[in-house]
Amino acid sequence: MASLFRAYGRGLGALLIAIATLWILALILVPLGAMIEQSLWWKDSKGEITLQIDRLYNDMATLQLDASGESDAAKKAGFEAQIAQKQAEATALEAQETNPPKTYGLANFTRMSGLHFYIFIRTIIYALMVTALALVVCYPMAYAVALASGPRKAIVLTVALIVPYAINELLRVYAWLMILDYRGVINGILGWLGLVDLDNRGWIPFLENPSAVFLAMIYTYVLFMVFPMVNTLETLDRNQIEAARDLGASSFRIHRRVIIPHAKPGIAVGCIMTFMLSAGSYSVPAIMTRGQGGDWFSQLVYRQFFESNNWNMGSAYAVSLLVVCTAFILIMMRLFGVGLRDIAK
Amino acid sequence: MRGKDVRLDQVSIRFGDAVAVQPLNLTIEAGEFFSILGPSGCGKTTILRTVSGFIEPTIGRVLIGGEDMAGKGPNERPTALIFQNLALFPLMSVAENVAFGLEARGVSKAERLKRAEELLSLVALTGYGDKKPSDLSGGQRQRVAIARALAVEPSVLLLDEPLSALDLKLRQHMRAELRAIQKRVGITFIYITHDQGEALAMSDRVAVMSRGRLEQVAAPDTLYAEPATPFVATFVGEQNVIRGTLRRISNGAASVDTPFGPIEGREVGTPAIGAPVLVMVRPERVTLGADRDNRIPVTLKARHLEGPSVNLECVADGQTLTVTLANGPAMRDLPNDLVLGFGRDDALVYAEGALANG
Repeated sequence: MASLFRAYGRGLGALLIAIATLWILALILVPLGAMIEQSLWWKDSKGEITLQIDRLYNDMATLQLDASGESDAAKKAGFEAQIAQKQAEATALEAQETNPPKTYGLANFTRMSGLHFYIFIRTIIYALMVTALALVVCYPMAYAVALASGPRKAIVLTVALIVPYAINELLRVYAWLMILDYRGVINGILGWLGLVDLDNRGWIPFLENPSAVFLAMIYTYVLFMVFPMVNTLETLDRNQIEAARDLGASSFRIHRRVIIPHAKPGIAVGCIMTFMLSAGSYSVPAIMTRGQGGDWFSQLVYRQFFESNNWNMGSAYAVSLLVVCTAFILIMMRLFGVGLRDIAK
Repeated sequence: MRGKDVRLDQVSIRFGDAVAVQPLNLTIEAGEFFSILGPSGCGKTTILRTVSGFIEPTIGRVLIGGEDMAGKGPNERPTALIFQNLALFPLMSVAENVAFGLEARGVSKAERLKRAEELLSLVALTGYGDKKPSDLSGGQRQRVAIARALAVEPSVLLLDEPLSALDLKLRQHMRAELRAIQKRVGITFIYITHDQGEALAMSDRVAVMSRGRLEQVAAPDTLYAEPATPFVATFVGEQNVIRGTLRRISNGAASVDTPFGPIEGREVGTPAIGAPVLVMVRPERVTLGADRDNRIPVTLKARHLEGPSVNLECVADGQTLTVTLANGPAMRDLPNDLVLGFGRDDALVYAEGALANG
């Protein structure tokens, strides 16, 4: 902090610290804290109380009827007193109904149904598969981009990678939907070639298979896998590749012993990004499966919030996903022997 | 390990329209320490990369040990290259670096580590095998690079200015060490450098290159004493260059009219009578005193003490002439007006041509 003041002066230094603090608070601590807090409590179901209140009002109506038919003033006063007492009871219960007491605990996490847990595990496995496939697809691409030089590099980079990203993500996913749909581009071509019979619904149901989601996800998140790898590969001294070749190494060995070890931090960052994005992606599985290929966990979280209106449960689901993603980051860092410092580079 | 000869047969290399190497013939003998000396951009690195197989010659052939190398990649040639920045693998240990070439040849782990240890002892790095290259000093890294290249038992070792990153003391030490290693292993060394001191100190023969052409190929002593062209004369060592017109030639002795009066010298090449010529005199061949074949009266402008020697910066007729003399008591108080003298054999007369450093 002292060095910050020395470098930028008191005013600017204080401003920078204030901005950093605000950033950490507004973008990390407050939203995450709110979500974790939300996931740790619940309110008891209101059904019982509502029933009690209904009964009290029924009793009161009966008493009211009795009271209006009663001519004896003393008895009438007795009814009135009973009504007043029940009214007080009802009012107290009503207060409880509109604002039930919070109970803290881990029940939101343990209450997950077997089906939801199955979807949770399956989503993690799917996200791992997307990450692995993206790595396989992107490594050669990153290698080609990083080692290409001159104007060709700029063209490859912009055309192949950047331009698709100028298009809205939803549109890109919808484009894949159109390609893979029952009467989509691929089935259309196959039908035109006479390989499938579209008139009798003999199309290939690509979208009913999770690989359709994989495909769209890899396409959607390619850049997040490619760029970290390109960044690290660009720092590789090409003489090392030439030296390895000069010493008689095959291309495979050069990659395994020289290039991949160097690219490790980039691979780790790319895998982490792709895993996080695909494990938490809502739009891609929602659009691509249209409910036919099985839900992803993110869709369950969405439903807890906006259909079941159970924010506590939704938060618990979201926190579970967060925990798994964090664990994945730590495992990747350990596996690739990279520290936060390498990743920050 | 046995050295092989390297022959460049009418080799020319072009990158698009740019000619990097003009057609040239060059034979490097087996077991020779051969240097290619020239300023940056003269094509020397291109030649090295052609021999190692990273570049195919546009025309001509490269023969190593009499075998045509056309179509053979760097991994198929009996050469090993030491890069300017050494290109050690930073994530591997020193022993793994040295053993890499053997690993690529499928040698078992135990055997290649044993061989690596032997090679490390050859370059006096016994016990450094487990360290990372980044833990070593510049000179040690240098030796690791040499051991790594020698591990694949090349017949020809190619060195691309590997000493340029070292400081002066270490560089001088490594010169002697490289020379000693070459004598020990007996293979052909082709050494690329822009540092004439390195080339003269280490080599059996030196080729001087300029703008993609070979200027001269000769032993270091010949190169220094009998430079074939004005470029070599000025690139290797220091020279006083005096411009003049050739008046007379007889039996190799040339008389030149210069602003300092007539100078008697020795002709190199065949300048024409009446043509503009360059007279070259090395600063250490010049003495003070009037009893020489050629005399030039000058004014002393500055005196630079080098320690064992003294450089005198003199001016005559607006031109600076430099004299290098052995240091001694007489060098303390020199008069302002001096007469520089040099012999007939000390002045080389060249037809006008390109000089080094412009």
